[in-house]
Amino acid sequence: MSLKNKLNRLKQNIVRENDLPVQQENKDSSSQNDLKWKEHNIEICHFEGQTCFIREVIYPLNFKHGHYQLGDFHEIVGLWNKSDSVHPLSSKGHKSSELFFFDTETTGLGGGVGNTIFLLGQAQVFHDRVVIRQYLLPQPGNEIALYNCFLKDINSKTLVTYNGKAFDWPQVKTRHTLIRNSVPSLPAFGHFDLFHAARRLWKNELESVRLSKVETDILGIKRENDVPGYLAPMIYFQFIKQQQPEIILGVLKHNEIDVLSLITLYIHLSFIILETDQKASDEEHYEIARWLDYVGDSKSAIFAYESLLNKKSNKEDQALLAISMHYKRQQNWNVAVKVWEEIIHMNRSGTQEKAAIELAKYYEHKVKNYKKAILYSEMVYKLINECGDSKKTNDTEISKRLNRLKIKYAKNIPRASAGSE
Amino acid sequence: MEFRKTLSSLLQSLKEDKEFTDQIVHWHTIPAKEAKSVEMPKDLDTRLKNALENRGISKLYSHQNEAFLYANSGSDFVAVTPTASGKTLCYNLPVLQKILQDETSRALYLFPTKALAQDQKSELNEIISEMGVSLNSYTYDGDTSPAIRQKVRKAGHIVITNPDMLHSAILPHHTKWVSLFENLKYIVIDELHIYRGIFGSHVSNVIRRLKRICEFYGSDPQFICTSATIANPKELAETLTGRQVKLINENGAPSSKKHFIFYNPPIVNKPLNIRRSATLEVRKLAGKFLKNKIQTIVFARSRVRVEIILTYLHDLVKNELVKKSIQGYRGGYLPKQRREIEKGLRNGEVLGVVSTNALELGVDIGSLQVCIMTGYPGTIASAWQQAGRAGRRQGEAVILMVASSSPLDQYIIQNPRYFFEQNPETAIINPDNLVVLVDHLKCAAFELPFKVGDTFDGLELEDILQFLAEERVLYFNNETYHWMNDSFPAHNISLRSASQENVVIIDQSDIANVKVIGEMDRFSAMTLLHDEAVYLHQGVQYQVEKLDWEEKKAFVREVDVDYFTDANLAVQLKVLEEDMLKEDHNAMFGYGDVTVQAMATIFKKIKFDTHENIGSGPIHLPEEELHTNSAWISVNENVVERLSIKRVEESIIGAAHVLQHVAPLKVMCDPSDLHVIAQIKAVHNGKPTIFLYDRYPGGVGLSKRIYETINDVINEALQLIEFCPCTEGCPSCIGADIVSQSAKNDTHFLLSNIKDGTKNVVEK
Repeated sequence: MSLKNKLNRLKQNIVRENDLPVQQENKDSSSQNDLKWKEHNIEICHFEGQTCFIREVIYPLNFKHGHYQLGDFHEIVGLWNKSDSVHPLSSKGHKSSELFFFDTETTGLGGGVGNTIFLLGQAQVFHDRVVIRQYLLPQPGNEIALYNCFLKDINSKTLVTYNGKAFDWPQVKTRHTLIRNSVPSLPAFGHFDLFHAARRLWKNELESVRLSKVETDILGIKRENDVPGYLAPMIYFQFIKQQQPEIILGVLKHNEIDVLSLITLYIHLSFIILETDQKASDEEHYEIARWLDYVGDSKSAIFAYESLLNKKSNKEDQALLAISMHYKRQQNWNVAVKVWEEIIHMNRSGTQEKAAIELAKYYEHKVKNYKKAILYSEMVYKLINECGDSKKTNDTEISKRLNRLKIKYAKNIPRASAGSE
Repeated sequence: MEFRKTLSSLLQSLKEDKEFTDQIVHWHTIPAKEAKSVEMPKDLDTRLKNALENRGISKLYSHQNEAFLYANSGSDFVAVTPTASGKTLCYNLPVLQKILQDETSRALYLFPTKALAQDQKSELNEIISEMGVSLNSYTYDGDTSPAIRQKVRKAGHIVITNPDMLHSAILPHHTKWVSLFENLKYIVIDELHIYRGIFGSHVSNVIRRLKRICEFYGSDPQFICTSATIANPKELAETLTGRQVKLINENGAPSSKKHFIFYNPPIVNKPLNIRRSATLEVRKLAGKFLKNKIQTIVFARSRVRVEIILTYLHDLVKNELVKKSIQGYRGGYLPKQRREIEKGLRNGEVLGVVSTNALELGVDIGSLQVCIMTGYPGTIASAWQQAGRAGRRQGEAVILMVASSSPLDQYIIQNPRYFFEQNPETAIINPDNLVVLVDHLKCAAFELPFKVGDTFDGLELEDILQFLAEERVLYFNNETYHWMNDSFPAHNISLRSASQENVVIIDQSDIANVKVIGEMDRFSAMTLLHDEAVYLHQGVQYQVEKLDWEEKKAFVREVDVDYFTDANLAVQLKVLEEDMLKEDHNAMFGYGDVTVQAMATIFKKIKFDTHENIGSGPIHLPEEELHTNSAWISVNENVVERLSIKRVEESIIGAAHVLQHVAPLKVMCDPSDLHVIAQIKAVHNGKPTIFLYDRYPGGVGLSKRIYETINDVINEALQLIEFCPCTEGCPSCIGADIVSQSAKNDTHFLLSNIKDGTKNVVEK
């Protein structure tokens, strides 16, 4: 039996439902199509027998995208350059045009070598305008042209992306590796991944921190007739079989707004980080202070917590607790103890237990006043059990502490009473 | 000294006590063998040499030396190494040597299971730390923490993984492994014999993909394989790796004198030929050794069986020994627990261990004095691996194989000749099975596009690639076939399952803890997992409450009933094309493409002891169709003309039943991988015909091998009938469905005539 016959016979075992159809039809003769591309401001770039489509869109600086004008970006870069902050998003040392807002569209949703990038989109802010350039893969088998065109134009230092650290850039590296002998090597970039910033600031506030959600809820950006990102692969498959510019334009527009929104998002984030006191909400203010803590900038962190306290917000107890941990680290026990007692008096669940635990630890290990330590441990125990649904681990932990304390107390009654005076 | 005396006096009692002598059907003594050692190779790196010396290794066994020489000369090779013969040095030596010479070198180790990979890592790391060099060996599997994955990819000199991980995690992300693939010098495949049947067919395609990626990054690694004793290690290694390999077959490790004893429990039900439970006999035998403080390993075929025997033994020796000195060992135990048991066995703290075949593979537990198998482990290779667990350098070792009532066990135990004299089984794979091949071509296209003229490790692809492009799975452009799809093909393909759409078996006995206990191919599920079927899983009875055919789920609940179910499957088999045919006076033998249509019709409930039919019910399932390969035997008119139609039918069904037991032995597969059906009048030639067909769509080569060795297969079938002690046929030979007194003789008559005739086969 011929191989073809066998293949047909076993077809139901071979061609699976999830092997999405990609139909190949006769492509239009190219000259006729070339004109159509020109109509949409799309330039056709040839490289060693392969082709890449390049679309360029220019925006004026006074274009308003969401709450900001794109030109505000220059002000932001100026502010960073004047600031002494060592914040991870600081663009100190950069000129505006050295930031490279970047986003891709791919044929699959996960990773893996076979997930092809078919669109590389970028935006740069120059002194007089914003330029968006998009590099589109006309069909599979043109990636050498795609990456050559893309890499030839790069003159920036730092990428600005949304989840590009985990996805877009590794995927660029992957596809680049496959053709690495035919294209220039990838430049080394700095990288601001705004997804991490957004998650830090708004994950409690927003139901998700997808870019589209951040756009509507935070940045005031409205998209009209937008093609959802998850449809991009299907649309692209349709496009490669029919080669009509109209099919893919929606995806190009979607990507264009994506990179534009990255500019707005960077402006917004920078403002609330640099001018936290005036521009950030209480929640954001608190999260920014925690972020400074996380990156090890204690001085700025304490400053931020203190300015939050001055605002008389409902984050007061949390800010106090955070500051108290700095006092503890500095072994500034008197102040720390005062703050912890203050927190307990504020009577807010969450911080109250934590302050009590700190006091219990303090009296057990520092002062060795077991009686007081037991007092605070019992308070913790009570608070946790009042919460009802509290975590069991805390519960057993505190039980352990209590048992240990009772033993210590029994052994050291004279010393304990001495300490409590 | 005292132990040895006890062992020999126990041996004496086995030889003399009537309690045992009646049950011992065969006593085979294998003389001791001296070690064949050679000096360490001169060019061996001194650091490596010293490290080995510190570990008490100052000479190499001949096979280890041979491996080192082959590796150094750039050859690919396979070493056949029984248990406990120092096989790991066959690959660790050349690999470590290469990395010590050039630290950019990389090696990839493939083990069939995660546990073996863990063991290997510990062993390697001991040698490495002994050498005091900075050399990284890592395991890479589902348990590897994301934090160190990056490090493994970039800096792992030796990456230890399994084929599934290579298939679904490493190859599809090969761009993250550039330093491995650019510098890969060795690919080590341990436990080669495991890669047979559908699993092996898949893995050989994963290796084709691996070689393709290596070529892309400019490396050309050597293959080092080790295997248990099988009939065709060289052939298997060559098919699996696509290379010419050298064979190292002579083992230089020493072995002690071994007594291999076949033990058949007494018959308790003569008409049905049912014997006393092997488990109970094992309890008696193991207890005897353990009470005398003789280190013993007991193998059992299922996890449940392990637990039962363990409980028996604990109970039996509770007055003499502490409980801790007898341990169980099986999948499902935590790695830490396993390491402790292994250590306990090596230092003698653990006296007895009851294990599944988990301990058959290369885990280091030292050597024990006695090995008892509860039932035949299924293959000769596996039996020898288990037997290898007993036998120290000095003294004697005892291996007891206690047979169960199953036909296979009874056949083996009554045919010691088959076990000791015949070649072990042939491991068969078919990398070119179209379904498997095409699946892996999709993965390969995902990993790198195919150019026109590209081959798949030498295999011409043009037709298949064109087909896939026509079927719109691939996209053709600029002389290149591209993957152009939003799915991740490796995730849809499992290397281990025989079918793409298996029925998952879900145990809902405990509503709070519903769990998946297994899976089964659709074809078998029709007769074994239909509504109300009683399904046996590791010795436990479950009743199927609902079979959801659309969703491919069978919901079962544990029950305790005194019957089993037997479903009728109406099978229509049509020969589509005869690829090979041999014909002579008495019979015709064919091989070719067939289509099988099967429909489950009714099931019967059959009482255990009496085999009474105590009820029945219909089965409502759609017809299934299977395209595959088959071998067949058609009997000519001159043989059967003397028999009535009924007797022809009975004898042909009887012969099919016997062949169903014997054929899997020949081709080292699970009985469910090779189906046998009889037709009184085959559609294509009108003759009484027995078909033996591959269960997997497209076939994995089992039926082809059956066709090629049909004489041997028929011979074995005759032996089974002749040695079966029943008079008129029983479930252990021709099956229980046949009632005529003449059936056993008729079946024998039929098969022996076919056998005679095939001496003068003429290829058509």
